[in-house]
This record gives sequence, structure tokens and C-alpha cells, in this order.
Amino acid sequence: MKTNFENMNWRLELLGDHALVFSLEEKMSEEIIEKIMALKKSIETLHFDFIKELIPSYHTLTLVYDIDLFYQNNITVKNNQSIIEFGNSLLNAFKHSTTNIDTENASEKNTSIQAEKIIQIPVCYDERLGIDLENIVSKNKISIEEIIKIHTEETYLVYCLGFLPGFAYMGKVNAAIQIARHTSPRKEVQAGSVGIAGMQTGIYPMNSPGGWQIIGRTPIKIFDKDPAILGKLSAGNRIQFYPIAFLEFEKLNEYK
Amino acid sequence: MAIQIIKKGIADTIQDIGRYGYQHLGIQANGFLDYQSARLANYILGNPVNAAVFEIHFPASSFCFTRNYTICITGANFVPLLNEKSIAINTPIEVKQNDILQFLKPIEGRVSYIAIQGKIKEEAWLNSHSYFANSIQKDALFEWEASSSISNKFLKNSSNQIQVFKGKTETIQEIHSLIFSTGPIQFIPGPAWKDLTEASQKAFLSTEYHIGMQANRMGYPLKGALLQLNKPNQYLSAAVTRGTLQLLPNGELMVLMADHQTIGGYANLGQIILVDLPRLAQASNQTSIHFMETTIDTAHKLYQQIEKKFIHRS
Repeated sequence: MKTNFENMNWRLELLGDHALVFSLEEKMSEEIIEKIMALKKSIETLHFDFIKELIPSYHTLTLVYDIDLFYQNNITVKNNQSIIEFGNSLLNAFKHSTTNIDTENASEKNTSIQAEKIIQIPVCYDERLGIDLENIVSKNKISIEEIIKIHTEETYLVYCLGFLPGFAYMGKVNAAIQIARHTSPRKEVQAGSVGIAGMQTGIYPMNSPGGWQIIGRTPIKIFDKDPAILGKLSAGNRIQFYPIAFLEFEKLNEYK
Repeated sequence: MAIQIIKKGIADTIQDIGRYGYQHLGIQANGFLDYQSARLANYILGNPVNAAVFEIHFPASSFCFTRNYTICITGANFVPLLNEKSIAINTPIEVKQNDILQFLKPIEGRVSYIAIQGKIKEEAWLNSHSYFANSIQKDALFEWEASSSISNKFLKNSSNQIQVFKGKTETIQEIHSLIFSTGPIQFIPGPAWKDLTEASQKAFLSTEYHIGMQANRMGYPLKGALLQLNKPNQYLSAAVTRGTLQLLPNGELMVLMADHQTIGGYANLGQIILVDLPRLAQASNQTSIHFMETTIDTAHKLYQQIEKKFIHRS
């Protein structure tokens, strides 16, 4: 994939008094989330103790910091930079490092998302589990078989996690099976349910109220409280669904 | 040997400073709603200031102590009663086996804290004891163990009442007064501030707001002038923080609090600065709230001034 990172315009903004936001053009784009994840990685390697969080989402990376620790670090190491100056220095270091990689080793460019392993996720599209399949059939004039075919033949990119621990917002869903959220959310959507909301698809990691149109269910636990496991998906991951039969779903079901 | 919940409150939880480092997985930070009052309670007892405490909302839980403890109640004044006799807040209290702690009525503030001297004996999840969905149930048992790193010796006066560490009294009064002080709530404009109409910017800065009935640990809705964007805008979701001022599609405002989700897609008008969050957290539905724009430099200076007062930081 050809990427012109150097031409992207980074913006740096304050998010209140204990966070900064690095952002690129506001759109859902593979190239942009890839760049956001690369910046995240580059900042992580610096191991600043005052950085509490690095949260990627679509076109933004949010850095949450501890005010006291920032100034303690500042006095000893960083010549009294302001937090904005510090943010800019992170951006400059990042731009510099990517320029070097580009010139020194052109093949490095291909360590992009495309080259990464695709995470395969089984989904049972049986109507007992895909309780909103009928809505798409009637609204989009399409058969269930076609919905399954289209939903499983594309690969999806994780653009961010949120709403619930481990809930991944993935896209883009083919226009033929796109459908708006329910106007009022269900009181409870079952854990493992796979849904569509506009151009996005996602998996409910736990039972929760929710408005996405449910087309099936995965038997695989996508989030586990065990600190050694936690979320199986993170922003920048590429995933693909594959269909399984109801009997197999019951056999594999990790939510029992 | 424990602290037993003999009556369940509406929304009481265990909270500490919060669970940081996992928001990229969609895991919320949670933590103290009023971090200043909570840390004050720990400070008074000589605990590490960020340690786990009971966070109490009204109507509150009732507690039975099955052994002797030293406790401290801070934040909102819900008129704490020990064996039906009124006890003071912001001071260490010795409780004995079978003593019962109840809360009578809310007379100041919205959220109260009970710190127990020592260290909670409960497994942490991702380095934090903060609850994130459930509240404390009836009959639940909690144990605190004495920690070797703290001093549990208090000075006593002639009538055998505990006096706080010398030199602390002023600090305690100062911090409590600050949390319950009136005056504008300061914020730093956010990414969508420039998208507000000029009239809406002016209305936000010059009219008064009140906290709505649905206020909870996730967020405080604000009642007051409705605001408008120059043109309807769709925002891609991005990370939010505690103190984020969201503009909802109907023109109403919501301030995100301790249990906020990690990302949000509503217009982000700005964030309330950290030193003013406890003041907002404790404001009642009747409190008139005015907002004032401030700078990062002022926010950091104010924050550091208060932090310096907690001399026993951990």
C-alpha cells in the first residue's frame, strides 16, 4: 500500500488540563488509523511515566497525562517545556523517524495493516441468533444467504474500542447490507452478538443494552476479565468473519 | 471480622484513584467522583491518599463494624450517626466492635467518603479496587488490614478524643472549604467550541446552569440555555475525559464524570479543569453554576497548589 504520511497534516490540541489530542483529517480511513497507531507505538517506546493513557480512535490519538509527574519529569529532563511543546516534540520525533525509515528502507513501508495477520472470527448467522436478519432482508431487498456472503467476504479494520470493554468498531460494511441502528435500543443484547450500524459492524463482548441490528452471534469470547487476556481486538487489527452452523456454535460456545 | 453492610444504599461503591492504562481497550477508568474529598479522608488517617474508600450517595448504606477501626468521613455532610449519636466529619473517629454507622439526611454536598485506616483486603482488578457497574449490596463484608507503612498513632487530648496530626487541621479546613466554595467552574475550550454559534458561546459563558435530576457517576446533565452549532455536524468518536462538556443533539449539555465511556461522538465543547471537578461533583440541584474560560497555565498552577498541600503523598 502506498502511503504519503509526510503529506498528512497533524494537529495538536489540548483536551482540558490533563490530556492532549493528536489528530489527522476527520474521516474513517485505513491510512489514517494506520498512521494513528504508528504514532501511538512511537510514543509508547519512550516510556514516559507521566503518560497514563494513549487512546486511538479513527483520526485521533488522545494522550492522558498526570500533571504532577509531568512537571517532575520536566524539571529534571526537559528544560521546562509546556505540555503543548512536549506534544509537538513527540510529533517531530515521530515525523523524523518515519521519514528516515522511508528513505533508508523502502520495503519497511509494506509493514502496513495489509501485511498483518487477519483475525478469523466464527459467526453463526442462524435466525435464532441473528434476530434482526429479517429487517435487512425486507429493508435492503436481499436474501439471508447474500447477507452472509457479503458480511463474510470482506475484511474489516478495527477503528477504535469503546462503549463497552472490548467493543470494537469495525468497518466498512458493504452498502448492500448497511442498515441504521434501531431507533430505540434493546434492553439486552446477548454477549457475542454481531451487529451492524450503518457502515460499521461490531461484536457485543457482554450482555448489554444496545441498538445495533443483530445478524448473528460468535461463540468466541472477545473480551475476558482475566488480566492475561482482556481484549482480543485492538485498533488497527484486521478481522474477517466466517460462517458456522448452529450445532457448531453450541459446541464452541464460550459464553455458557 | 469485617465491616458489614446492614442496609443497602442507592449507589454506594468502593472507589480509589481509578483504573488507568486500559482505555484503548474500551475499559473505563472509574475512580473517585470527588477525588479531593476522597483523598482528604485518606490523608487524615495517614493512608496513601489514592487508596480505596467507600463512596456514599444518599440514601446511604448502613454499616456495622465487627471489630475496632479508625475511620474518617469526608465530602458531603449526610449527618453521620454512630450508634444514633451524631459524629464529626473531616476527623478521625474510633469505632468499636458492633458499632453501627448510619447517615440521616443530606445537608451539604452530593457524595460522601468513608476511609478506613489501613488497606482494603480485596483483590484488585487491573491495579484498582474501583467498582464499575455494580453497587455495594446488603450483607456484603469488607475487611481492611493494618498496613505497616502507616502510623496509626494519633495524638489524644485531655478528654481522650483523637486529634489529627499536628499542622494538618488548617489544611483539612482549607481543602474542604475549597471543594464547597461557590464561584465559576473553569473550563478549557475543546475541539467543537469554535463550531458553536456566537450567541451560544455567549449564552454558555453568561447564563446560569443547574445540575439535572438524572446526575449520576457517568455524567451530570445541565439545565439552562440550550446551545446550537453553526451547522449540524457529525463527529467521529474520539476519546473523552472526566469533565468533558458534551453538547447533545437536542441542545442540552452533559458533563462526563468518573464512569464516563472511553470515547464519545457528541460535540466536545471543552473540559472542566481538574481542580473544579470536585466542586461540580458536590454541587446540589439548586446550586447556580456559572462557567468561565481559563487557560492551561492557570489550570496547572491551581492543580499543583492544591497537590502541594497533601504532604503525605504516596
